[in-house]
Amino acid sequence: MNKVLLLAEILTVASALIVGFHPNILYASVFLLFTFCGVAVMFLFAGADFLAGAQVIIYVGGVTILILFAIMLTQWLYKIKLADIRNKMVVPALLSAAVGVFLYRALHQMVAALPPQTPEALEKFTATPKTAAIGQALLGGYLFPFEAITILLLGAMVGAVWLARPE
Amino acid sequence: MVQSAQFAHSLEGWFGFLPLWGWAAISAGLVIYMLALPFGGLATYIERKIAADMQDRIGPNRVGPIGIFQFAADAIKMLSKEDFVPKGGDRFLFNLAPLFVVVGSCTAFAVLPLSKYLIGADVNIGVIFLLAVTTLIAPGLLLGSWASENKWSLLGGLRAASQIVSYEIPVALSILPVVLISGSLQIGQIVEQQGWTVFGENPATNHFWNAFHNPFTFFSMFLLFVGGLAETNRIPFDLPEAESELVSGFNTEFSGMRFGLYALGEFCDVFVMSAMVTALYLGGWHIPFLDIEKLGFALPTGLVAFIQFHMFMIKTLLVVFVVMWLRWTLPRLRVDQLMGMCWKGLLPLAFFNVLGTALWMWVFKGQSLMQLLAGHG
Amino acid sequence: MNHLMQFSSSLQGYLAVGAILFSLGVFCVLTRKNAIGILLGIELILNAAGINFVAFSKFRTGLIDGQIVALFIMLIAAAEAAVALAVILRFYRLKQTIDADEASIMRN
Repeated sequence: MNKVLLLAEILTVASALIVGFHPNILYASVFLLFTFCGVAVMFLFAGADFLAGAQVIIYVGGVTILILFAIMLTQWLYKIKLADIRNKMVVPALLSAAVGVFLYRALHQMVAALPPQTPEALEKFTATPKTAAIGQALLGGYLFPFEAITILLLGAMVGAVWLARPE
Repeated sequence: MVQSAQFAHSLEGWFGFLPLWGWAAISAGLVIYMLALPFGGLATYIERKIAADMQDRIGPNRVGPIGIFQFAADAIKMLSKEDFVPKGGDRFLFNLAPLFVVVGSCTAFAVLPLSKYLIGADVNIGVIFLLAVTTLIAPGLLLGSWASENKWSLLGGLRAASQIVSYEIPVALSILPVVLISGSLQIGQIVEQQGWTVFGENPATNHFWNAFHNPFTFFSMFLLFVGGLAETNRIPFDLPEAESELVSGFNTEFSGMRFGLYALGEFCDVFVMSAMVTALYLGGWHIPFLDIEKLGFALPTGLVAFIQFHMFMIKTLLVVFVVMWLRWTLPRLRVDQLMGMCWKGLLPLAFFNVLGTALWMWVFKGQSLMQLLAGHG
Repeated sequence: MNHLMQFSSSLQGYLAVGAILFSLGVFCVLTRKNAIGILLGIELILNAAGINFVAFSKFRTGLIDGQIVALFIMLIAAAEAAVALAVILRFYRLKQTIDADEASIMRN
């Protein structure tokens, strides 16, 4: 089972590398799709079954399609090469590597500070279905953020429709 | 998790000389190569025969007894075509696009409840898994239409993707009443609770088929059916691949086996959508009013699985027949009519159904029409 | 190989993937000229944050609060992608290009 998780993580990291470095924006979007799928598999192994399904539905079925639409609507009329020429990559590369390392080390502090779970508790956590618990929490303790997000989504929908209106 | 319902567990229980993951791989292969792909292939033949019948002609009748090997002949023809990519088209994406469609549709076969003992993987998030995996089809159409380097294909692909993404919402909302009734996303449990016998006791959780649970779910079934038609680009929603309007739309430049993969993926998706309607609304593997496991004498599990599998296939194939029947009966919707029908028609109706089902569950304490009739009668 | 598998299925493994995705996202935002490319970077960053939350939820606290926060992150990312793409379409109509360097009316 661990082999599948390792494969998923390698897929995620490799696709993200291609997203970061590929000059063709369309290829970058396709590999972003694979990154999303890899992250969904990682969620499955972390006991987040509902979240994995939601990840695929929202990201692959929503965000990726949106991005592909935007690329196709803004490029095809003029048929410019979809190449993204970057001439100065060294400083951003160093900066982002530094950010990544700093993040990992900083989170390591928290890793050490919190008590680890026993292997049986981990097994149990991964095996129990979370949908009911998430539902209870969304309408229970997290009711206010839930309602706030609905207003946010409504605002985003109205804003997007208005911004993209035909003249 | 219902251990006994999973295909791999059942096989391991019956045969037992391979580890579980071996049986899981074998069951995945069995489902795909013995159910999904043969159905996709035969569906091309069946559709042509049904079309012929509707149009008062004979249809394929040369290859094989009643022309039944026509699909094999088509496959051989497709395999022998020239493998080319349009000039200026993107080779990688051109090859990748049909794979999205096939992978999306075939993966969904893992959670279809073929029988109580023959569910590939009765996951706890079964319904969400189905929705998520059928979502993988849309990027396939978009990328294929872009890689074709053809304005008509691009238009068709954009329309197809926007249609699929729009109609996912009424589909999801039409599945919601079923989830409300069953209290579970697990497809095996949803189907299990649709059993009803007239000979003997019914468990309290069992209600008759979800379609007849309350008037709102009856309506929801038709909404799910119509949404499924739109998701799979079937008439009356097939403007993206309209033969007379866009020169076959997004699959204009695809020929040979790449087109074959698109067609295969589409027919597998039709099966998945029909199976969804059957499993969620029409009682899945249950024989109406009869529970063959409680007949008094014990039947061997294999025979029970056999009978249930056939019942499921009969119901699903009936729904597939209706899908194909509609193709040769109804005219095609224009794209603005199509989108208007989704956002201004199906979506409010789907919301109304969810609210109505919730209201029914509250007023009648979750009982179905059948339970109410049985309770009083 | 065994060590790698052990590492990947532990908390450190998830955090490492999160950190790599985050840094690649930052790299995308910093270097891409195309406005949609910047959006790709933002999506990577949000995914990385989600992975971190879910990993801590499983390996340290055993509560589902991390998963709920990850769910909210997903919803916000979807809303923000929609608005960002509407802005990009508007910008394209204005300037016929989506080069981020062209968004310079207010410079100097």
